Amino acid sequence: MKPKELAVQSFHENQKLLSAVNAVSIHTKLEMAGHSDLNSAKTIAEAKDTLNTFFKELDVIVQRAEKAGTKPLLGVDARRRQFVRNFIDAKRNYRIQSPSLRGKLSDVVQMIHSDKDTDKQDILLVLEELRMLIEEHIAGDTEILLGGI
Amino acid sequence: MQDLLTQNNFALRYDIEKLQRSLRDAQVNIPEELKPYAKWVINECEKLHQGILQNIRYLGFGQKNLLKDILSNTQSIANAFYILNQDQASPILRARTSDRLVLRLLLWLHTMHHQTKDIPAAVGDGEFSIWAIHPSIYYTPCTAQRGLLNLPLFFHEFGHLLYRCHRPEMNALVNELQAEIRGLLPPAVVRDDKYTAAQERKREVVVEKWYAWAQEFFCDAVGFMMGGNSFAYAFSMYLRILGKPQYHLSIENLARSSHPVTWIRIHLLADRARRIGYEGVSTDLEETWSQVAATLGVVEDYYGFYDSKFLFVIQDKLDDMLTETSPREFQESEISNQEESTLTSPVALLNRAWQKFIEDPDGYREWEEDAIEHFLDVDLGTFLT
Repeated sequence: MKPKELAVQSFHENQKLLSAVNAVSIHTKLEMAGHSDLNSAKTIAEAKDTLNTFFKELDVIVQRAEKAGTKPLLGVDARRRQFVRNFIDAKRNYRIQSPSLRGKLSDVVQMIHSDKDTDKQDILLVLEELRMLIEEHIAGDTEILLGGI
Repeated sequence: MQDLLTQNNFALRYDIEKLQRSLRDAQVNIPEELKPYAKWVINECEKLHQGILQNIRYLGFGQKNLLKDILSNTQSIANAFYILNQDQASPILRARTSDRLVLRLLLWLHTMHHQTKDIPAAVGDGEFSIWAIHPSIYYTPCTAQRGLLNLPLFFHEFGHLLYRCHRPEMNALVNELQAEIRGLLPPAVVRDDKYTAAQERKREVVVEKWYAWAQEFFCDAVGFMMGGNSFAYAFSMYLRILGKPQYHLSIENLARSSHPVTWIRIHLLADRARRIGYEGVSTDLEETWSQVAATLGVVEDYYGFYDSKFLFVIQDKLDDMLTETSPREFQESEISNQEESTLTSPVALLNRAWQKFIEDPDGYREWEEDAIEHFLDVDLGTFLT
């Protein structure tokens, strides 16, 4: 695929993920402040499902990448490989500080659905750091798709 | 920050509403075949509009810890809107009656596969490529949109959409192919020095490159499986006069390339055609490409990125990928020499066009005009078998 075709697919997927991150983050903060969300319960449930699926997939692929070391990650497209590399680098250089993101990603899946206040605080940090990585990744796509002025 | 976000959201709302008005005005005159796509774009625009209104309401909470989230939402909507405004709205705003030819082919193509039948498609001006998302945009040079000879190249682009629809399974198959190719590469000489490390690195570059290449070879195989000879001729004719890079790339450019050297693709296509009994087109492809290569003074060398000993494992894996995605196969009757009155599908029409062109390139144009007119009049439902 040409770089633009690849960027379109990557942008499309990551926008969906970013919307889910923002929806759950806003929902959690409003809930903690005692406000009702503007989003429906269905929208929030769908956003949580999107995050669940993402973390499950990321868990598998990060484990494979960490095991492969410097060898290429087979069966994975260039943009996804880049995201995984950035994620691993961000853990190594402590740009990611959330213990949950640094630990087993499968645990994050359970936390997303938790009602405990401590889990809610943790999940907000997870979402904020994940958002940082997604936004950086999307910036790479939009540079190709939109260029500059 | 609160004021800044309010300002940007109001500005975006104004721009989105302007685009919504333009789309509403334009959709009155667009071809019928474009309406499902237009409906999607208009809905998407409305979702962005709602997203902006929601941001404005969230800002109304005055809750400081929401500002980062609202900023992210605003950026996200802005990016999506700019792309919608720049690329996705364009097929509607630039729609022409002549788009019907391509749109009907795309509509038929998408309808024939259970995974793509609900994905709207549009046509855009540009080099051959696809936005393989929901909805899809097929880009093609302006003149190619008005004739039949280049249309079989859409079968290749459709392959990218099929790959995406079956991505987990396809990635698993490509993973296997990459591992098999790694096994076929000459082992690095073990000397425990910089030379060995460089050799090892080169092997990994080759293996990594095969992720992107495998998808292109798969799409070529889809092209041939769906379009038969018409795809092979269109592909060969379009690319064979685009110069030396189609035949040879330096090792550095091979490592950077998103597509395999076209000459390798011709070898694979010719092999695929030969394996299913289409010796004529197979020989034609190999001979014409060898002829141009000889004139250009190109000697075949892919610096280890491809070797004829890879052929069996590649074709074997491509067969698995075709089984997984199950594109519609051309029928023998669609590519045999038939009269206009018996043209039963767009594939038959495109193959007939190529037969006519090869028989009489000079008289082809007149035939094509009549054939297109007929195709535009036929009820597409008669082709949906």
